[in-house]
Amino acid sequence: MRSIQILRYLPEESSQPFLQSFQVPVTDSTSVLDALNYIKESLDPTLSFRWSCRMAICGSCGVMVNGIPKLGCKDFLRNYPNELIIEPLAHLPVERDLVVNMDSFLRHLEAVKPYLIEGKHAADSSQPNRQTPAQMARYQQFANCINCGLCYAACPQFGLNPEFTGPAAIALAHRYNLDSRDSGKAQRMAPLNSKNGVWSCTFVGFCSEVCPKGVDPAAAVNQGKVESAKSMLIQLFRGRAIGGAGQ
Amino acid sequence: MSYKPQLTGSWWLKHRFFKAYMLREATVIPLAFLLCSLVAGAFSLQDPERFQHWQAFMSNPLVILVHTLALTASLYHAATFFVLFPRVMPIRVGNYQLPARYLVLAQWGAVWLIVALFIWLFAFGGQS
Repeated sequence: MRSIQILRYLPEESSQPFLQSFQVPVTDSTSVLDALNYIKESLDPTLSFRWSCRMAICGSCGVMVNGIPKLGCKDFLRNYPNELIIEPLAHLPVERDLVVNMDSFLRHLEAVKPYLIEGKHAADSSQPNRQTPAQMARYQQFANCINCGLCYAACPQFGLNPEFTGPAAIALAHRYNLDSRDSGKAQRMAPLNSKNGVWSCTFVGFCSEVCPKGVDPAAAVNQGKVESAKSMLIQLFRGRAIGGAGQ
Repeated sequence: MSYKPQLTGSWWLKHRFFKAYMLREATVIPLAFLLCSLVAGAFSLQDPERFQHWQAFMSNPLVILVHTLALTASLYHAATFFVLFPRVMPIRVGNYQLPARYLVLAQWGAVWLIVALFIWLFAFGGQS
């Protein structure tokens, strides 16, 4: 048995979050999510948290473990021999216990149109949209994102300015911009060029450190800066106002 | 009803990764001092007396200390920048992506080339 602390928030009882200790049984293979499930099943059924797949695919069990964003299913109690404090993901409003409101993240994701947009690269939609392995290799790394939101909890710029489009949304925008089957780059560049787009990033790089899928969103955001600069220059040479490129 | 913890001004003290980031950003401080010194030097060229004052200022041990700090800071910044560069501008030749370590090594190679050039210019007066 060992002790873990959880930051609880029960709005009907108190307007302030509070730390609560629990004793949980541990083996070498006990994950943070296992411990949370043990507490809910055996100690306190009122504990609220999100989870689904238990195998780092669904991206729903993100929590702060000793202040670092982690997937509960991919992080093990054996990594924390001393103190262990579990808190809800940082930089997002907390609804209850470890459940955060992901609306702002989803809004940013929606704004960058993270899906294939048909156009000249897919003239005939009745035909299969073929792609070579080399074309796929260009974006594959950024396609591994599971929308868990750990990068948003890691990003101090998002913490300071929730209007910042943020790492995962920009990584996905970049993923579709790099896709040979896509024709929507011009539409995605508008939010990326804006004040709250790629230029709000200062390359702290912690998003890539905490990413459980090796997406390297910081690389995507900063490659996005190169694309944004190119897009601005092209608009400048076409004689359009620079202000227009920035909005 | 929800609550949202606010990020305090001391957020960067909470993790060594953030401290390293702030150190990288702070390298600009001694560099700004060096730049101001050089600009002052350029202006002092108009008047021999002012140039002598500037030379005296530049040989002040405290100024030398800050300039040594600027050199160390810019090398640290370079080290962090060189690692980030291949991630921001990955170089592709056809379908082959150049491994990041080659790009990092090439950048350090360029640094040593410039250092060698300066040693040749200042230590040997440009004579072979």
